[in-house]
Amino acid sequence: MAAMLEFRTQGYNPYAVKYSPYHDSRIAVGTAANFGIVGNGRLFALALTAQGIQVEKTFDTNDAIYDLAWSEINENQLVVACGDGSLKLFDIGLREFPVMIFHEHKREAFATAWNPVTKDNFISSSWDGTVKIWSPTRPFSITTLPIGSCTYSASYCPSNPSLISAASSDSHLRLFDLRTPSSAKYHLVATVPVHAAPSHPGGPIPAGGPPAEILTHDWNKYRDTVIATGGVDRMIRTFDIRNPSGGPLSLMHGHEYAVRRLTWSPHASDVLISASYDMTVRLWNDASSQPQGPVPTARPGAQMGVMNRHTEFVTGVDWCLFGAGGWVASAGWDERVLLWDANLLMHPR
Amino acid sequence: MSAVARISQIGGQISGNPTAGGREKLLEKHPDDVVVTAACRTAFTKGGKGGFKDTPAGDLLAGVLKAVLERSKINPALVEDIAVGNVLAPGAGATEFRAAAFVAGFTEDTAVRALNRQCSSGLQACIDVANQIKAGMIDIGIGAGAESMSLNYGPAAVSEFSDDFQQNQEAVNCKVPMGKLSEDMAKDLGISRAVQDDFAAKSYQKAVKAQKAGLFKDEIAPVKAKVQDPKTEEWKEVIVDRDDGMRDGITAESLAKIRPAFAKDGSIHAGNASQISDGAAAVLLMRRSTAEKLGQQIIGKYVAGAVVGVKPLLMGQGPWKAIPKALEKAGISKDDVDIFEINEAFASQCLWCANQLEIPHEKINPKGGAIAFGHPLGVTGARQVSTLLYELKRTGKKIGNTSMCIGTGMGMSAVWVAE
Repeated sequence: MAAMLEFRTQGYNPYAVKYSPYHDSRIAVGTAANFGIVGNGRLFALALTAQGIQVEKTFDTNDAIYDLAWSEINENQLVVACGDGSLKLFDIGLREFPVMIFHEHKREAFATAWNPVTKDNFISSSWDGTVKIWSPTRPFSITTLPIGSCTYSASYCPSNPSLISAASSDSHLRLFDLRTPSSAKYHLVATVPVHAAPSHPGGPIPAGGPPAEILTHDWNKYRDTVIATGGVDRMIRTFDIRNPSGGPLSLMHGHEYAVRRLTWSPHASDVLISASYDMTVRLWNDASSQPQGPVPTARPGAQMGVMNRHTEFVTGVDWCLFGAGGWVASAGWDERVLLWDANLLMHPR
Repeated sequence: MSAVARISQIGGQISGNPTAGGREKLLEKHPDDVVVTAACRTAFTKGGKGGFKDTPAGDLLAGVLKAVLERSKINPALVEDIAVGNVLAPGAGATEFRAAAFVAGFTEDTAVRALNRQCSSGLQACIDVANQIKAGMIDIGIGAGAESMSLNYGPAAVSEFSDDFQQNQEAVNCKVPMGKLSEDMAKDLGISRAVQDDFAAKSYQKAVKAQKAGLFKDEIAPVKAKVQDPKTEEWKEVIVDRDDGMRDGITAESLAKIRPAFAKDGSIHAGNASQISDGAAAVLLMRRSTAEKLGQQIIGKYVAGAVVGVKPLLMGQGPWKAIPKALEKAGISKDDVDIFEINEAFASQCLWCANQLEIPHEKINPKGGAIAFGHPLGVTGARQVSTLLYELKRTGKKIGNTSMCIGTGMGMSAVWVAE
């Protein structure tokens, strides 16, 4: 892979990397000193220039940064999730200090996502077992959704601004619809037991298993009822939220340690990429475009390539929205951010 | 945000243990923990025969409450509520138990209530009090159980079902006698008489060994009782400080000779089911910050509790469903638990639950159980706490689980930590 760009986050271990939704030349990296165990964090806003990757701005936080999300309404702003439970909104046009601080989580804030449709709110999830919905203009949360156990990942449906999903350590994927009344279930409309055996007989690979923490999940950008999950059991599964107990649609096995982050391609409906503690990034086809057999079973997805240039846990991976499609940013505890073309994984030159 | 918690969290994600770090988290001490500063029980004596055969439940309770006050040396006026589990007394003994508090030395400041969730009443009482403390309703309370199966046993316990009830099969099943449904369950699940007798014999052997080694000394509070000699009809006062249900020399072979109790070709008999007994138990609970302020000696911590429903005819499966739920709430796996106190209502159901959950037998009831020393219905849940905490302490272990099946098809379980 000749065309690989590299940036070093000297002294800081990345936990998340995200492409700007506005510019193909802008990337943000959320990092933490001492592997996020103790110490401060640093947000890097990077620019891709003719001279390679340049630092546009850095912001320091007094605890680790575990995740970040670009604002969808202001091209210069982005929110970070911090180890002290706070969320901080930074503006690249300003210096040093956050524009807003949102501090309600009682433990590590671990994930954040910006509403891609209405663009006027964002969510966060935390080890305190809650998901909170925020407006960038209000210091207090709009709504708190109780999960009950360490929630590693929260996301919006890409087409419906009212649908929020959360993946947690209790091996469940929860779905909240804010259009429903806030009854005793706090907008909870579906719960997917990710590791439960499906209600119909399993396929060639056992679809169920012992419960394990789910660390990451993402909505398919084309099929808006499909979600992929990944976690401690190393397996990537896809589910159709219309059939929460139906078991996985497809299974992708290959990672040798926990799957830390995964994201669907913005360019193809059956392609996703995953980052893992096994120091690799893997490219997958979920086999959804292949014809289904007479008995509905979980289909084995195909691994299309492995990127093994990282030398430590890979914690972040993201697709570039622009261009021909296939550019990926990955970041890991080896203090490196790598930009590379996933197409080269399939057709090595 | 402690670095240790973060390391254990990440470590768990790598090792693949779904609850890695859960144990460490459980052992942490926080000011708002609900802790135990005293736990004891009376001896359990045989229904209709033993030292407590003529002692009402209220008197048993008064005895054990007095012991809690003596052991903890707490100012009785600081105890805000006492919850007492009881199954057989009319009204679960509400009036007698309030009176018992006065006899034990409490003032009018201490509220008392009686409750009945069948065989888990004692545990329900402890959990209720713990939850009251957690919710901030009270700072200090006692969870207890008291039962005189000698004086309150009888068929008057259940009223007639209406016609509507008779139409509902599960409702009807709620009335099927425990012996019969356990017999059917043992047959359906293929739990042979031989394995039941083996399990029961081990319960006796463990209990006898523990008694000989004096391992019950810490948990049993001696209580004075008046007892009538059945022959001479003379009353005399005795001090009861020893379980009398344990029999030495019981083996699987000797149990194999006993006739089945509920069906001619059945497998359940007096030797492999829990004994009918009298007794009481109590657990003093408070917030850790309160305990430290008062200089109370903390012996354990309540972590989490769970209650579940199962089919009424399969009530023996209660612990099988309740234990994983309690462990999940505590954030640990079964491997993190050092001792399981599973009530031995019947050897068949206890054994089945343990095997289904793949709990190693050496972790279950190390000092024997209800088969060997009795199951005064409303007491067992509170009794298990002292049995467990003292055994954890003696063996230098930390995490314990208590559980039981419940008539009409339920199960309860709780997680405790010894300190």
